[in-house]
Order: sequence, then structure tokens, then C-alpha cells
Amino acid sequence: MPNVDLQELFNQRLGRYQAAIAMDPLDRMPVACGSNYFAEVYSGNTNQQTIYDPAKWLEAEMTFIRDFPEVDVLRNSRIYAPMFDAINCLTYRLPGRDLPARTQFQFVEQEYMKADEYDQLIENPSLYVINTWLPRIMGELAEPGSARATMALIKAGMTQMQTGEIMRTRGIRLQNECGMPQPMAGFFLAPFDAIADAMRGLTATMMDMYRQPEKLKRACDAMVDEMVNLALSTGDPFRRYPIFVPTHKPMFLSPEQFDEFYWPSFKAVLQKLNQAGYAVRAYLEGDWGQHWKHLLELPKGSVLCDIDSQGDIFKALDELGHHQCLAGGVADSVLILGTPQEMREQVKRLCEAAGKDKRLLINGGCNIPYDTKPENYRAMLDAIMEFGQYDSSLKPAPRPEGIVPFQSAPARKVFTSWETRKAEWGGVQGDEQLIREPWERFEAMAYAFIWQWVL
Amino acid sequence: MSDIANALRDLKEDEVKKLVDQRLAAGDTPVSLLAELNQGMVAVGELFSEKKYFISQLIFSAEILKNVMAKLEPLLQAGPQTESKGKVVIGTVKGDIHDIGKNIVAALLKGAGFEVIDLGVDVPGEKFIQAVKDSGAKVLGMSALLNFTYPEMKTVVESLAAAGLRDTVKVMIGGAPCNEQVRAFTGADYYAADAVAGVNICQQIYA
Repeated sequence: MPNVDLQELFNQRLGRYQAAIAMDPLDRMPVACGSNYFAEVYSGNTNQQTIYDPAKWLEAEMTFIRDFPEVDVLRNSRIYAPMFDAINCLTYRLPGRDLPARTQFQFVEQEYMKADEYDQLIENPSLYVINTWLPRIMGELAEPGSARATMALIKAGMTQMQTGEIMRTRGIRLQNECGMPQPMAGFFLAPFDAIADAMRGLTATMMDMYRQPEKLKRACDAMVDEMVNLALSTGDPFRRYPIFVPTHKPMFLSPEQFDEFYWPSFKAVLQKLNQAGYAVRAYLEGDWGQHWKHLLELPKGSVLCDIDSQGDIFKALDELGHHQCLAGGVADSVLILGTPQEMREQVKRLCEAAGKDKRLLINGGCNIPYDTKPENYRAMLDAIMEFGQYDSSLKPAPRPEGIVPFQSAPARKVFTSWETRKAEWGGVQGDEQLIREPWERFEAMAYAFIWQWVL
Repeated sequence: MSDIANALRDLKEDEVKKLVDQRLAAGDTPVSLLAELNQGMVAVGELFSEKKYFISQLIFSAEILKNVMAKLEPLLQAGPQTESKGKVVIGTVKGDIHDIGKNIVAALLKGAGFEVIDLGVDVPGEKFIQAVKDSGAKVLGMSALLNFTYPEMKTVVESLAAAGLRDTVKVMIGGAPCNEQVRAFTGADYYAADAVAGVNICQQIYA
């Protein structure tokens, strides 16, 4: 196919996806899963190959796109494992390394932050992260300042650059060679999750809600700017794609606890990203049925909400579907164990429930599972094409890039400011901007590096 | 319900500790206190079933109980042995290393007076079979968070049959990717939609 067609295809797909998120009119329902694990292994790759061999990873995606061209956006993995190895990240178990090569990666919680360390975190989050928390979650940093720890950090910085390069190359090649956009770019966590996932762990955080509620709330507030910064540092500068946030702990919380501990700081992050011109794709993991009404408080079409298999998609459509675009509706078990006929019937029901006024991206619960039967996935796409048609006179096209002026985004956080550096040199003699720009750029990258490990 | 049971039901951690200390000092037996704590845990489970409590509250109640039990257990061991309600073998299936859900179920089962044989995470089939054989438990609970575990759960159920144990034990599955369709596929007897449902199933089996 000539390139011009692929560019057109890219524009149509991206435009369709963006229109769905914004609750605008559509030609048809987009096929727009956020985490397509099935695509990762469909070509025959092991899970290990995807995270260790970027060429194999890209090849797998291209094979998948060839066989399922109806797909509008595609992403599967987000991990380049050598970066995790360089520092020996203890919060993950990886296929081929700690797990069999055909198993998915898994997250391991522990109490890496102690109950009496909230004041340090609140006082200066990044200092706490660098001095206390990172050495606990990075095996290679067990003795900070040692030769081994220093070497590990040097390697980690190099692997981070390489990861960025792999992601960029992948995005460009999928765009140019397959006309395929991404479902999201960049990531962050809700402040409560940042603390409860990789720092305190679930059980300890649950205790903190009873034993030291004020400190937990203040810590969440202290994390707001850090999470905004992480999102802006990793998001698409052209604002074509929503920024990704998985949510992990609301499924355990009572509505009162959610309102008191989780929502205020999460809402603050979402609002700031919205003001900076970004949409967000939020995985509402577990059952958010008691909590999702809060998404009505944010501007219409600003947060694409993935409804998990434990949530009731029909209830979500009723209560939220007129205000935010939703994704989901097909249980893991239907994709893995069901039949094409069962799939077709479920897609039909979902399309009827969404109607013309609500926006729904039919999907598994926050992902398409690894063990999905190809015939069930095929049946899902066929049924979407059959029942998800809206207005064929519409020609989807992307929104203008970077709608909000870049200057309106908050300044990137740095650890050692340019002013400090310059003062220690006693000023600079030549063109200051020529020195300052790269200094701040690499500072911001390093800052994002230290915070990305909360995910 | 007693004041201890009420305090536990209402998640008043300090109050539970204080009352247990007072009652021990007053000469109450650890066995009687344990019975009251069990009542409190049952009440917590009822509130969960009524959707007045959520998982965080199950976790906190289990934590309060665990801390009190650390004090009571040595006393209980010194005194006359009490009958457990029955034995339950539980674990997260092979390949999956998640334990939050499994731990909540195990804690609630202990709170309800069951003897729990907790095999941990990433449990191979043969370990489940051996534990059922050794313990004579009438319930085997398999937990999973990840959906690639469906075939593994089915394999365990088939291995129980091959070992001649299928008629002696009821198999219960639970965890995020499970539902009735998965239960039917694996050949398990029960699907527990949540932790309290799991405890109720065990009560029913041992009734």
C-alpha cells in the first residue's frame, strides 16, 4: 500500500478514537482496547520475547494488525525488561526471568515504606523517594553510594534512553507502515495508589486509614504535583493520545473511604491534566460501581473509563455513559472460554445498550487476555462492524494537535534547578540558553525516571 | 452479642484490645473470648453481605483479630484443645503469585473457627492434592487473580479425581477472573463471588 493511504488510515483511526473519547459523533464504534495482551502472543512470541526483544515485539504487533485490520489503536506491552534488570526492580516478577517464559509479568506488593515515614514523604516527596524508597525497591541499590549501586544507576539511565527510543521507533513504524495509532501515551497513578501499591502495600494502607488517616490524606495531597509531573513528562507532547492511569485500590474501599481518601487528590490530578489539554484513559479496575459517579464531576469527554469485568457495564452506561466514553463489556471468560456465537450476542446487547448517544468501546475488562481464542476475538470484531455502525457520512479526522498552548502546562519538576547549577559555577560566559535547555531537559528526564517506579 | 463482639464488629481496634485484656485479667478463659471474637467476625461478614462494609473493612477486622490472637494463641495452646469447625485447604494456583484475596478468605475462615491449611501462592497441583490427602479436608479452595489459570484449576480438579479424592472433597474457586462459566469449565463444585460467600460455602459443606 502506498504511504498516503496509510497516513489516511492513521488519521481515520485516530480521529475515530479521539471522537469517541470526546463524545463526538462517530461513523462507527472504534475497536480500541488499551492493553491488548492477546496481540502480544498471537504471533507465537513468548511473553519473554516481547519484553526483551523489541524487534520481536514490533513484529508481533505487525502480524496482529495484518490479521485484524479493523483494530483502530494498538498497544500491548509497556515494559522493556533490561531497564528493570539494570536496577533489579523488586516490585515486578518478569517472564523468562522469575517466571516461565510464557507467563505474564506480575506485580508484587510489600511494605517498602514504613508506617512512621509519612512525615518524610509529605515534607519532600522526591527526596524521600531517592534516599529511602528507591534503595528498598531496587535490589542493585541496596548499598547506596557503593560502586555497584553507582554502576546500576548509570546503566539504568542508559536503558531508560533506550526504552524511549524503542517506544518512539515502534510508534513511528506502526504509524508509517501500518497506519496504526496508540491508545495512550504516558502514565501516572492516583496519589492514593502511588502510596498504596509500591510504597505501603494494601494491608498497611488499609490500617493507615484507621490509625493515621490525616497523614495518609496529607501524603496523597503531597503526591498530586508529582503525579501531574510524571504524566506530563511521559505524555504525548502533541496531545493526540490520552494519558494512561490504572486504578488499583478503589475496589477495596467503601464509598465513604473513597470520597475521603482517594478521590480528592485523584480529582486534582485529573483536573490539572485536563487544564493542560490532555484526555486521560483510566482503568477502573475491580468494581467501581459505588465510585464512578464522581467521573461526572470532570468535563464531559475528558476521561475514557475502562469498566472492569467485575463492574456492571450496563449500569455504568446508565449512570456515566452520557458523560464519559466507556470501554469494556466482555468478560475474560467469554474471550477465553466462550464461543463466537456467545460473543456475537454479547456485542449485540452492548451495542443496543450504548445506542447512538453513548460512547462505548467494546473490550475485555481493561484488557484483551493472553489466552483469548482467536475465533472469539474475530467474532467480536465482526459483531462490532455489524452492530456498531452509526453515520457512514462522517469522515473521521484527528483533532488539531496540541489544542491547548504548551505554555499552559505546569513547569516540569527538577531536582537540581538550573539556578542552583549556574550559581555553583558562578555564572556562565556564553549563551546561557544553550546550556540551560539540555540541563533542564535531562534533569526532567531523570526526575521522571525516579517516579516511574511507583507504577 | 457481647461488648467484645460489638467492638470488633464496629472495628474499634483499641477497644477490642482493652476489653480482651480486662476480661483475661478478670479470669475469663481464652476459649470464651475466642467464641466472642468469632461472633464479631461473623457480624462483620454479615455487614459485608449487606454491602454496608467493603473489602477494606474485612481486611481491618482480620488485622484486629490477628493482633488479638497473637496474645490468645499461647494461652489457648496451654489450655484444653477446642474443636475446629473443619479443615480447609487453600492456595493461589500455579503461575499466579497474588495473595490478597486468598489471604482475606483465609483470615475470615480462621475468624469463623476453621482450621486453614494455607499453601501460599504459585501452588502446584500435586501440593494441593497432597494437602487434601494429608489433612482429610472436605474443602479445597483455589484462588486466582490472573485469567491464564483456568486450565490449571481444571487440571487440579482432574488430578483430584485421578488420585481417588474427588468424592471426599468439595472444590471452591474464587478471585477476579472467576465466574459461573469458569466454574463449569474447571469442574469445581462452587464459585465464591466474594470472601464472605467463600466462608458461607465452607459453613454449608461442614454443616
